[in-house]
Amino acid sequence: MLLSLVQWLQFTGFFTELRGSAYVYPIVMSLHMVGIALFGGMVLMTDLRLLGWAMRKRSIADVVNQFRVPKRWGLLLTVTCGFLMFGSKAEEYYYNAFFRTKLILLALVVVQELVFYRGVYANPAALDQAPSVPGSAKLAAALSLLLWTSIACCGRGIGYIEPPLDKIHAQLLPPSTYPRFTEPRSTQQGEIAPCCSSKPTP
Amino acid sequence: MLIENPLNSSALTFPVLECCHIVGFAISIGTIAIVDFSLLGVGMHRQTPAQLAKDTALWTLGGLILMLFSGLLLFSSDPDMYYLNWPFLIKMVFFVSAVIFHYTIHRKAVSSDTPPNNGKLVACISLALWCGVIFGGIFIGFVYPGLSLG
Repeated sequence: MLLSLVQWLQFTGFFTELRGSAYVYPIVMSLHMVGIALFGGMVLMTDLRLLGWAMRKRSIADVVNQFRVPKRWGLLLTVTCGFLMFGSKAEEYYYNAFFRTKLILLALVVVQELVFYRGVYANPAALDQAPSVPGSAKLAAALSLLLWTSIACCGRGIGYIEPPLDKIHAQLLPPSTYPRFTEPRSTQQGEIAPCCSSKPTP
Repeated sequence: MLIENPLNSSALTFPVLECCHIVGFAISIGTIAIVDFSLLGVGMHRQTPAQLAKDTALWTLGGLILMLFSGLLLFSSDPDMYYLNWPFLIKMVFFVSAVIFHYTIHRKAVSSDTPPNNGKLVACISLALWCGVIFGGIFIGFVYPGLSLG
């Protein structure tokens, strides 16, 4: 079910085009990295403030509240570009152990956010009034740092796993021709996408 | 004389160094971007850019050092390839310009509590230079070795 969904996704016209383009794909990946820098930097400073390791002259409320909106924009950029990369090779990502781990960690981040939302993120002013930063806030920050760092590292790991070529339907341009403009290939009947597909070998 | 680079004897060192490189640039470029957005008047209205710059300076430097040293080690794994890789060369131009800009003009712009008139221009240049570094870094893996385009 899930497999047929990712196969459908990668063979939509949009993602077939994206997969075939030599330059759009790395641009999307670069923007993913720009998003990581923006979002990651703000997550880091928020967490370090909660831990008391940075920005100690600013109140926790100042840091948490003011980063909230820009952090969401950074996350939106990162997630959008991430989804574009996923969609263009969805089947390959489906089999990728690092990608699966990354999704589980992302789910854990959502859980972390829900668990600590009421006590930490929704009311940072209360943390400032406490004599010292409560343990729950420090735990939230430490978990956030650990999870986001692991997510970034899993993302890097995705590229190191060779896809199971016998199961992949969308083939990339061979590496030797990748950055160069290639001759248009003739399409055969029954192929799903014009330039980037091959029948699975049994 | 051939000297074996110990980095190339394990399959794990390169990806681990890459992770350090990513964490390093997220810390350094992320903290610089916070100050730049403040100069542009986006977010963090309750602090001046100068205050934010002081708050983040140590972490920016730490991130830069992590990024630089992991980057040098990554480079050492295959210097010839990098030397002949045009995105890498462009990245180095952007990186050196960005660091020099950061510790001269950028630092001056955030040295006083009242941002200078050209604060927004400085922020834009800073963001553009660091984006250039990131784009160059990604494109390294997407071109064929050799200095010719395409």
